[in-house]
Amino acid sequence: MEFGTSGSLNEGALADGIHVDMDRLKKGEVKTTTGAYIANRVTDKLTQVHDTIWCCRSGSAADTQAVADIVHYQLGMYATANNRPPTTQTAAAMFQELCYENKDRLSAGLIIAGWDERHGGQVYSIPLGGSLHKQSYAIGGSGSTYIYGYCDSNWKEGMDEEAAVNFVKGALREAIKWDGSSGGVIRMVVLTKKGANRHLYLPDTDYAVRHQ
Amino acid sequence: MTSIGTGYDLTNSVFSPDGRNFQVEYAVKAVENGGTSIGIRCKDGVVLAVEKIITSKLLKVGANKRIATIDRHVGAVSSGLVPDGRHFVSRARDEAASWRSTYKTPITTKDLASRMGGYLQAYTLYSSVRPFGITAIVAGWDSELELPVDGQVGSGPSIGSGGKVEGKTYGGPGLYMIEPSGMYWGYYGAATGKGRQTAKAELEKLDLAALKLSLQDGVKEAARIIYVAHADNKDKEFELEMTWISNIDGPTKGRHQEVPKDILEEAENLAKKYLEGEDDEETKDDDKPAEGDKMEE
Amino acid sequence: MNHLPQAWGRPRDDIYGAYDSSYLQSHGPNQHTQQPIVTGTSVVALKFKDGVIIAADNLASYGSLARFTDVKRLRTFADTSVVGFGGDVSDMQYLDRLLNSLDTEEAYSSSGHTLNAQNLHTYLSKVFYKRRSDFNPLWNQILVAGLDGESKPFLASADLLGTTFSSPSLATGFGAHLAQPLLRKVAPDEEAAAKLSKEQALEAVKESMKVLFYRDARSLDNYSIAVITKDGIDLKENEKLEKQSWAFADQIRGYGTQIN
Repeated sequence: MEFGTSGSLNEGALADGIHVDMDRLKKGEVKTTTGAYIANRVTDKLTQVHDTIWCCRSGSAADTQAVADIVHYQLGMYATANNRPPTTQTAAAMFQELCYENKDRLSAGLIIAGWDERHGGQVYSIPLGGSLHKQSYAIGGSGSTYIYGYCDSNWKEGMDEEAAVNFVKGALREAIKWDGSSGGVIRMVVLTKKGANRHLYLPDTDYAVRHQ
Repeated sequence: MTSIGTGYDLTNSVFSPDGRNFQVEYAVKAVENGGTSIGIRCKDGVVLAVEKIITSKLLKVGANKRIATIDRHVGAVSSGLVPDGRHFVSRARDEAASWRSTYKTPITTKDLASRMGGYLQAYTLYSSVRPFGITAIVAGWDSELELPVDGQVGSGPSIGSGGKVEGKTYGGPGLYMIEPSGMYWGYYGAATGKGRQTAKAELEKLDLAALKLSLQDGVKEAARIIYVAHADNKDKEFELEMTWISNIDGPTKGRHQEVPKDILEEAENLAKKYLEGEDDEETKDDDKPAEGDKMEE
Repeated sequence: MNHLPQAWGRPRDDIYGAYDSSYLQSHGPNQHTQQPIVTGTSVVALKFKDGVIIAADNLASYGSLARFTDVKRLRTFADTSVVGFGGDVSDMQYLDRLLNSLDTEEAYSSSGHTLNAQNLHTYLSKVFYKRRSDFNPLWNQILVAGLDGESKPFLASADLLGTTFSSPSLATGFGAHLAQPLLRKVAPDEEAAAKLSKEQALEAVKESMKVLFYRDARSLDNYSIAVITKDGIDLKENEKLEKQSWAFADQIRGYGTQIN
């Protein structure tokens, strides 16, 4: 049974997080479709849940936004109550609990990426059933199926920030190219000790120029 | 006892005009009559020890444990009213379990002490309850390693995560003492109960702040200190109960466990030998701090 | 047109008929998990003279997609037992945390007594049965390997329905069809299993994993294997299948006339 998800907006796009030597970097592209009609051609699916903990959402927009809102609130409470910032693991644990306990009501695929002092950059993936997977990089959403090969071939252990940005960009360009439901702009956020740094790349300039 | 007859001590949560809460102070009195408990923070682990007063010869030797496991990596002991100590343990276990189910990671010793401090403090605020008649010592070893989220699968890159802040260490031994008022501090060495003054004097000689004492030696010192402190409670029989938590490479692999029988017995024998030696040297045991009635230390 | 706010975003009743809000009602049956999503395939295990060997590959599939290739499906308990999980990975993680808290609660009493594999299997099978009776099953099939109360090798299975079974060799999922016959050849009964050496048992289990990799489309050549004896657990989580045989493909020719 599918109430609550049918008729909602589906973010038929690609979300991707990558874990690199220096940083945490995460990226998401962009299009929100309802059937073949593009409801929003410049969606921002990168969602901040704490200073340097972000998530990429795929699946039902309503569901993933609701889940992200709850975790955003809980992490804020955690930081205040314990007088220290939450770790990426804390965020991942909270996301997983929500996705697992409500699996029969949610259509949510999430990638959680974050940087914290103790663990550096980390990427977690929470697919449909609500399991939790620690990964070197994570891809998700409809477009991701087109780039499993690209990512497997091009990901290298211990990339620096520039190499990681290029890897993510390259992967997204492939997804946009082959997936009818992926397209538009490439949004990225780089998470390091310095904080969250956003990138934006546009098709007008063939994704070559950083606009943000 | 200046409080007597003033009426300000007849109910909990009421201040006297000079800003004291007598019910809490009376709870401290209950602690001061209890068998001595100590904790020692060593470089590779933490030890807990208690002088368990034997109230009847009809009780089974070794039964009725006084040191409890809170979570796998945390233990607690208390001096004072034993049933209050039991309730403290029960609440601490609930706190540790609820932390685990919320954050899917073990609670740190410090966070547990904070939660329990808050819990005990609440028992000074209401007229319907009384303060805890115990001072508790909580000891734990927080993993220095990066722990997975409980249940997680997958491990990320084989070289580990990038972007960590260099030169910082995490985890290690934790030792906290929580008083009836809810006040708690972290300690290098902690002592409470009847023989606390003697025990503290001994603990101070160990230079625990340098964090050089090994767990194996810590166990021997703990046994010795309990035996020495028993001088303050000479007329009663006691059993020595000891637990420890080592780091991941040590004998308990980060878990809170009873000190094995052979090591316990060895430490006890050394303690007895030490006492005998002391008696020979000087029979002037008299200048020991003969306290127990004193209000503050 | 109905402009009332409660009709916003809804198909018009005059065209599509009244909205069926029956699903919003709380009466009627609750609906829970109806399918596993991220899944692990077979687990195989075999008793031998001194203990039990258990193995499972490291794959978690998402439908036919080999999505996660580093999922360790053998979980240890109290340094004395191993549980091998097939089926839904999120439910495996739930059970892993449940066993974790069980282990913590066991440590509350300092009796030194720990739950053995037999106790563990009984506990888990009752959890499964309770959940299926709530119409909210844990979508797994598991094997529990270790020693029983008399320190003899113990091996038993439990599944999402609460069904249990015990045998000198066991396999879940595809393994029940492909590996079980091979293992039964090596250990047809308890007496035969009690005579098996560790080396013989290891060979049989590894051979089973190979056959499963050849014929189970949801399998991987990377696997975990554990040997449980009274001395403890020897768990290896990154084994690679060895001595595969593919060269005979050279001799095979497909349909139609060919010159070469």
